[in-house]
Amino acid sequence: MTDSRSPLRGLVLTLVLFALLALVPALGPSNRLLSLAITAGINIVALYGLSVLFGQTGILSMGHAALVGVGAYTAAILARDLGLDFWAALPCAAATTALLAAVVGFPSLRVSGHHFVILTFAFGQLLTIVLTNGGDFTGRATGLDLGQPVVLFGMGLDPLPQFYLLTLGFVALAAIASWAIVHSRYGRTLRAIRENEKLAASLGINVGRHKIGAFVVSGVFAGISGVLLAYFLRHISPSQFASFPSIYLALMVMIGGARLLLGPLAGGILVAFLPELFALDPVQSRILYGICLIAVILLLPNGVIGGLLDLWRRLVPQRDPAERTSSNPARAGREG
Amino acid sequence: MGALEIRGLRKQFGGVAALAGVDLTIVEGEILGIVGPNGSGKTTLFNVITGVHKPTAGSVTWRGRDMTGVPAHAVSHAGIAHTFQQAMAFPGLSVFENVQIATEHCRSTADFPWPTPDDLIGFTGLQALRHETAGVLPFGSLRLLGIALALATRPALLLLDEPAAGLNDKETTALVDLVRQLPGHGISVCVIDHDMSLMQRLCRRLVVLDFGSKIADGPTAEVLADPKVLEVYLGGAL
Repeated sequence: MTDSRSPLRGLVLTLVLFALLALVPALGPSNRLLSLAITAGINIVALYGLSVLFGQTGILSMGHAALVGVGAYTAAILARDLGLDFWAALPCAAATTALLAAVVGFPSLRVSGHHFVILTFAFGQLLTIVLTNGGDFTGRATGLDLGQPVVLFGMGLDPLPQFYLLTLGFVALAAIASWAIVHSRYGRTLRAIRENEKLAASLGINVGRHKIGAFVVSGVFAGISGVLLAYFLRHISPSQFASFPSIYLALMVMIGGARLLLGPLAGGILVAFLPELFALDPVQSRILYGICLIAVILLLPNGVIGGLLDLWRRLVPQRDPAERTSSNPARAGREG
Repeated sequence: MGALEIRGLRKQFGGVAALAGVDLTIVEGEILGIVGPNGSGKTTLFNVITGVHKPTAGSVTWRGRDMTGVPAHAVSHAGIAHTFQQAMAFPGLSVFENVQIATEHCRSTADFPWPTPDDLIGFTGLQALRHETAGVLPFGSLRLLGIALALATRPALLLLDEPAAGLNDKETTALVDLVRQLPGHGISVCVIDHDMSLMQRLCRRLVVLDFGSKIADGPTAEVLADPKVLEVYLGGAL
């Protein structure tokens, strides 16, 4: 949406970047690096959904890891009870998560702003409690195991380089889906709601329905991310989907830049690799994340990618007047 | 019978009756003016008609259909559009994208004179600002954009809340010319404003509200000469 003249160019550049990232396993990276990259990629799939919800619609969810958890548990339970594999779990998990997002969204989105954030946070906590107390069905606090790897054309994708490529494929699909939403009539409708709910309603937009819709759409991304996570870790437990992972997801999308196609990618990668880069323990990295979040909110309201784009526009003089519209202070100031 | 029939409309905010039982008819094809001191209930009247607020009592009937308490988006789909007192647009989006969004949610009507976003941008004279971000527009242009957005919904009735507030003389004249064309395109207009010379130029009929009640309703010249109106609305100064 930043550059309405050439939305396709942005998508092509992003896909080229994904193609380059696909070459990473050929460089002989360590297992640690691949494993971090896969974790980042699984988060990024959810982040692309969150960018539709937060970046386009202006609704922040602080319980998104719970939706990822619904996807993961759906995959694990379907594998255990019905013997369904990864590919069969994908649509089922997406549907389950979408349904749950609708159920949560319907009452929650009647309130706005901070109240919705608090409700999604409460929902995340609630899910953890349900999973912990779900008896053998959810495996209590221990969680569930997945016996089967992802199989594609008769080939197990368990080795890290293969799973990395699988994840990258889903990240690319998520990016394309999010791009298609942003540049569709539906994306414009969501932006209208973000910019001015009252005006949107007066122009015939059913604000409540579309807000729930955006939450459901972001839930589908989260559900698919959850299936990937379950099959990557092969063991899931309630604590993985509690409040901190939810806060991290919100943080990643804000740090990267929720309104730009590369934002979720950058946010997911930065947050996954920063502690590794500076050799921080979990407590130290939480402090660093906090500082990053404050810095981004104060200095880079469009996230790291938005900041880089603005820098680029300042350094390279723009010839086309249409280009100017995207980097003006009014827009930057609107970022929540 | 009028296009819009309002009967006994009340709107209570706590102990305050913003509307204390208003009867009002808007006739098809007219430009009706509503005036009244600040706090007399003019904007509340619009908000209740357009579904922003639910009325406490009374009814709103639009072309024979009960519209009382219908949500805002459904009012828009029924063909009633309104502009806001604080000129409102989608500030972070371009002028074109603003109008495009509005046209994408319009009701389906045959032969509307400005079917595309660019038709509306042309009609309101915003061509030069097509790519600008709405948030940085000068005030007068923002008001025009607000009207373009309301028109994009293809209304049969347009409610304008202080459309000339903050406009200079030249912009006001352009606005009068624009609004006068609307009845010819099948769009009835109801306008709230404090500018009496604007009202005299625009409206044949004027309604005066005071403390949530209608105190006068008739031809503009007669209403403006009514001693009761002069007393209440102009403090007897004229």
